[in-house]
Amino acid sequence: MNLKTKLACFVMLLCSISIYAQNSYTIKGKVVAKSDSIPIPGVNVLNLKTSKGTSTNFDGLYEIAVTKGDVLQFSYVGYVTQTVIIDAQQNLNVSLADDANALDEVVVVGYGTRKKKHLTGSMSTLNVEDKGLDKIAVSRLDDALVGQVAGLNVAATEGEAGSDPTLRIRGVGSLNGDSAPLIVIDGLVVDSDFLGNLDMNEVETFDVLKDAASTAIYGSRGANGVIQITTKQGKEGKTTFSYNSFFGFKEARQSDDYYFTVAETAAAEQAATGTLSNRTAYKVLLTQTTGIDRDWQDVIFEGGTIQTHSFNARGGNKNTKFSASLGYNHDEGVLLTDDYKRYNARLKLDTKIGDRIKIGVNFAPSYTRRRRFDGSTHDILRQAPWLPLYHDANTIQFVDFNTYPNVRIGDYAIQRHFDNYDLFGDGTVSQDISNTSNTNPAAKVLERDRNDYKFKLAGLFYGEYKIIDGLRFRATLGGDYQNTFRNRWQGVLSNRNGAAAASYFESNENRIHTLSEGYFTYDKAFGGHELNAVVGASAERWEWQGDSALGSGYTSDLVQTLSAATILNEIQSYRYEEGFSSFFARVNYAYEDKYLASLSYRRDGSSIFGVDNKYGDFPSASVGWVVSEEDFLSESEFLSTLKLRASYGITGNKDIDTGNDLTDLYPSISLLGTDNYNSQAAFVALNIANPELQWERLIEFNPGIDFGFFNNKITGSLDYYTRTSDQLLLFNPVPSSTGFSAALENLGEVRNSGIELELTSRNITRENFRWTTSVVAAHNKNELLDFADSNGQIQNVDSKRAAEWINLVGNPISSYYGWVVDTEIPLEFINDPYHPVGGQAQDVYVKDLNGDGLIDDDDKTILGDPYPDLVWSVTNNFQYKDFDLSFMFQGSHGAEIRNMGDQYLFNHFNSAQDFNTSTTPNQGFIREKIFTNAIIQDASYVALRTLTLGYNLPEDLANKFGASSFRIYATGQNLLYFTASDYTGFNPESINNTSATTYGYQRAGSPIFRTVSVGLNVQF
Amino acid sequence: MKHLKYIGFLMLVISFQSCHEDLLEPIPEAAVSSENYFLNDDQIETGVIAIYDAIQGVNSTNLNDNRGVQHEYYVTEMRSDNTRTKNQEGEAAQFESYAITANNGIVENYYRSCYSTIFRANLVLENLGNASETMSPIFEGEAKFARAYSYFQLVRLFGDVPLIDRTITPQEDEIAFTRVATATIYELIVSDLETAAANLSNGEYTRASKAAAEALLAKVHLTLGNYLDAQVLCENLMNYGYTLEPNFNDIFYSEGNNEVIFVIAYTQGIEADSQDFSAEFMNGVGRTVGVNYVTDDAAAFLDASGGNRTPFSYRIDPLQPTQRQVVKYLPNGEDGGDNGNVFESDATLSGNDWVVLRYADVLLMHVEAILAGNQETSNAAAIASFQMIRDRAGLTDAVTSITKQELLDERRAELAFENQRLFDLLRFGEAQAVLSALSTANNYSFTATDLLLPIPQREINLSNGLMTQNPGY
Repeated sequence: MNLKTKLACFVMLLCSISIYAQNSYTIKGKVVAKSDSIPIPGVNVLNLKTSKGTSTNFDGLYEIAVTKGDVLQFSYVGYVTQTVIIDAQQNLNVSLADDANALDEVVVVGYGTRKKKHLTGSMSTLNVEDKGLDKIAVSRLDDALVGQVAGLNVAATEGEAGSDPTLRIRGVGSLNGDSAPLIVIDGLVVDSDFLGNLDMNEVETFDVLKDAASTAIYGSRGANGVIQITTKQGKEGKTTFSYNSFFGFKEARQSDDYYFTVAETAAAEQAATGTLSNRTAYKVLLTQTTGIDRDWQDVIFEGGTIQTHSFNARGGNKNTKFSASLGYNHDEGVLLTDDYKRYNARLKLDTKIGDRIKIGVNFAPSYTRRRRFDGSTHDILRQAPWLPLYHDANTIQFVDFNTYPNVRIGDYAIQRHFDNYDLFGDGTVSQDISNTSNTNPAAKVLERDRNDYKFKLAGLFYGEYKIIDGLRFRATLGGDYQNTFRNRWQGVLSNRNGAAAASYFESNENRIHTLSEGYFTYDKAFGGHELNAVVGASAERWEWQGDSALGSGYTSDLVQTLSAATILNEIQSYRYEEGFSSFFARVNYAYEDKYLASLSYRRDGSSIFGVDNKYGDFPSASVGWVVSEEDFLSESEFLSTLKLRASYGITGNKDIDTGNDLTDLYPSISLLGTDNYNSQAAFVALNIANPELQWERLIEFNPGIDFGFFNNKITGSLDYYTRTSDQLLLFNPVPSSTGFSAALENLGEVRNSGIELELTSRNITRENFRWTTSVVAAHNKNELLDFADSNGQIQNVDSKRAAEWINLVGNPISSYYGWVVDTEIPLEFINDPYHPVGGQAQDVYVKDLNGDGLIDDDDKTILGDPYPDLVWSVTNNFQYKDFDLSFMFQGSHGAEIRNMGDQYLFNHFNSAQDFNTSTTPNQGFIREKIFTNAIIQDASYVALRTLTLGYNLPEDLANKFGASSFRIYATGQNLLYFTASDYTGFNPESINNTSATTYGYQRAGSPIFRTVSVGLNVQF
Repeated sequence: MKHLKYIGFLMLVISFQSCHEDLLEPIPEAAVSSENYFLNDDQIETGVIAIYDAIQGVNSTNLNDNRGVQHEYYVTEMRSDNTRTKNQEGEAAQFESYAITANNGIVENYYRSCYSTIFRANLVLENLGNASETMSPIFEGEAKFARAYSYFQLVRLFGDVPLIDRTITPQEDEIAFTRVATATIYELIVSDLETAAANLSNGEYTRASKAAAEALLAKVHLTLGNYLDAQVLCENLMNYGYTLEPNFNDIFYSEGNNEVIFVIAYTQGIEADSQDFSAEFMNGVGRTVGVNYVTDDAAAFLDASGGNRTPFSYRIDPLQPTQRQVVKYLPNGEDGGDNGNVFESDATLSGNDWVVLRYADVLLMHVEAILAGNQETSNAAAIASFQMIRDRAGLTDAVTSITKQELLDERRAELAFENQRLFDLLRFGEAQAVLSALSTANNYSFTATDLLLPIPQREINLSNGLMTQNPGY
């Protein structure tokens, strides 16, 4: 009990709330559901006399202090509340009746809540504990959302520790604006980066708002969907303490196609030609002497551990409730040097003052420190498998000391060191081996130190005042503060040019976001009518202030600061502001729980837009009919729930991201920035201003059905939607002769349409054995409807490797464009097919699609697109006595990726491996592979996303540890991960950060990883 | 009202942000709005400096940034018989082998850079009304010089191009994409340069001067075949006090020497004011492994005809002895040590000025003007100018007559790697023959249509059929 005392002290210190114990005896018991006798965890047990309470544990067990004559109240969402008078009994088992007719579960809908059964829009609610999200061993809580919600796509586009996944709700509608959903934590709108600073153990529920009718209350920020996060709050009764932890190992998924060895290549060369070239013979000699013949994946995908510790204390009395939590997470990542640490805390406190007033505070500081993998996998993995990391006694004997007299054992090995080798020991052959003058590939990463440090503080104060019964006013003052400090040391040994290239970059940004809002809520029920109205206004402001500098002229690695630099460059400082003001209103109406309607309206004003277009209007309407409430269905055994609903709404998007914060925040003003020539100041035009610029608009229609069969054993919902985004905020290319390359305009139209299914089946519900299956599936089709002057625009992301995308009406926004592969060029025509290791010809024969006898632009066609057609998951949960087992298979199909990694890893650009121009036939039909579908690969996958096996210690045993419940579990992520056969890389989800019109570019990227971990949940 | 204090608190919350009257109209602090700018001489001058800044180009590895003159060697020297890439890699190698595609990012970048200069010049010209009477003609002269310089590059590289003589909006497709005949563009070039020559005086070399305008105009006239006009301008220029620098190497390493007429200036170590081409000419020092390397043909020619200019023009790459590097622009004057690629200063932030016009060029233009398209001349004035160039190179044998080929060769030796060679070959009518021979010898694919660059495919695509491509692309 010692630990408990300490924790209690800690909590008392933290919030100065004390709960006093009373003399009484302890009553014990179990709460089960009347319908299936299954224990119900989390039932509120409240002694109405003493106002003390507790809640049931995982097995439905509770104990609470009572004296004879006390009244205990048992309440839980979805069940009829029951009260029992205590008559000196020691045990009290209770079975709660399903509140089937009035499943009064409430969900958060933005500026209020609504009964789930009254919902008319499309939204999904995830209860963290029910879904086991807190048992998934990931550092960022958004990573745990994969496969949980139909229509919310979570892709591990970047695999570094702490990097954010790409979240998309119902496809990509915005071409230039940010397509990430809005994040609202306890009513406070924050940017999506905050997802990296939350601890899953703090979170009670995620409410994912998908259709425009649901998100329109967030107006111009609702177009990409909204993820609302509600953090846990204490319950009335005894203070509970919990400790949650997991520890695991992470391991990268390697690519076999990218795994090269000298032995393999030598064997292939021997088989094909019957002999080995001198160069290959040298490689074989080298690998046999040094014992080093491994792919660089083995070096840079080093694996790592991940661990989390989370302490929580929650409790309260009739008037005051609190929750305090403290978390720590450390993820070593699977790449060399990547590392992510998070420290977070939260205090949430609500208190009632008298009958009319409620005030509260919610305060969450957090700190993250992320060390980056400061290199590019494509660059490192193409390095020779024979190259050692460091020189040792074996490798040093191959060094060309004439050119490199100073190389010593322990130094980084560089390819050029191994050139000019006297292969036959007689001076006849001076054999070269290198294919790059670069330094050792691992040195490029190990000798760099790049970090992101972020301190964030999000918080709000609110006060709520009950004016008359049903009418309340709530005012909130809140905001967030974010300091981001980044630094990047590039050490002396990280570059072939040594100290001359050593540099240190540092940037520091402060961002403050303030919010003040107030709204009235009116609730009224009369004669079967239920009315709920909200009307309010808010004002928000963001301020950015930052500076950065690059130091160079270092002579050593000793002092890695700006002060030690002799030259300072790229010195920048800036201040930006953005203002936002809104008015919003909503009316919800229900008649006899059967006929439902909701209307909402929001008017947003933003400083981004010009005088005439500052404000945008975002209305929505939705209706529902609960057919199963009608007399003719109310007795149906088969169909227990049936709700038909339809919604229509308009939302917007104001976010512009052209890569220049200054012109993105003031696009309606012609801006002049500073530059210089010959040490004289220049003022340079930065943009083509567009005073007419206005809100991007999304119009969505969403009919849907909610259903429940066989006494709601099978429940689910089916949604169809069409989302049409128009007047897109497009950074539209303009003629170069204007002096600019692009200008912001409202242009174009995109439609996403799709079907979503969520299904839960409680297959078996016996007391000792339960089995539940959930299915989530979503299909989305993306189509460009109008692209103004840019229709048919062809773009590339790297003019050196100008593989093309086309943005063509009638097709998905980003479509890969190029020639179609006919056949490979036979090896006999390739000049030097076996060097370097893993190398392939860069060219290929392509098809003459229009049959005109020559290959030109007219033979190019659309080669695929990066958007999946189907994303699904199937989750099974089993519970047998104290054991539980769950696993989720998740998959994505129909997306393609342009894997430029192939060009690097297979060394496509190597001129030595070109075809022989004098012997090769039909050279007019040859094109570089990167311009063809040779590198367009199927990005589909099926993964065993999670597999968790848990065990709840029996209560007696748990008590021995001083715990009220004690659960241990083992979990694995991505234990199985299948990709399409033509995919050569290590992560089909990895996508480089390019524009929305050139999406789907992968340059080797970073790997998917497997995690195996064990965890612990203890409650006192 | 016992709850008055709470209501008071709520009111406070609501009014918290109402106090920001400018909530929806914040004034940018990190930049200025052009609406209230270019109102006086000082402000307009920052716009004039911005024009040079556009020619100077951004020192960056990002191809979205306008690289300006820093990329000029790709589209000029590397398309001549003088230079090539070191490793024949990537789109940079398209230039030497005459396999340039319309998607080439370097071509696109150079095209855009030229129009960026033209835009900035037009912006100044449109704001001249706010300048003082004293400064207005000077600003006009500088802006028109830069505009003419850009158009001169554009017409010689691309042929017909859109003629933009005012700032235009993206909606003005007709103007933005319609290719105007080179003859019409030359009319603007000549008129702009005549204004510049009339309005400017001498004394500057990092900004436009009367001499710079006249020298450039002389070259324009030579290109157009107006030999007499060119001769008058050159002889005018020979009275301004420019001299040949006695030591050839000093032209490039002694900034502000008496030979240079106009340079694009760079400042060492300052990212916003430095250049990276010096690093790119070295072996693996810049972003590339090495470009603008000297062809065997050019090296052999310089060995035979360069005189004492040869060692100051190219060298054997110390790291790869089979390769040769340009040494007119060694990073900040450093030779890179034994390996030739280790520099004390940051080579990618070099401060070497780019020489656009120098007196030796004027003297040779003088000869060219007198030669007037004929095969040979023994005109004394021409010989005098020619002899000065030869003497400085240590080739002091007396010249008695000058053939067209000798003049072309002398220009090659004198101005090697200064982005003159391609234009010289074109102007002398020798490009077809010389580049065909080069192509045959090296298995390149030169045809007559390669004398013009492709209009960037991006422009063609954006123009919806308004813009036509050059033949052969």
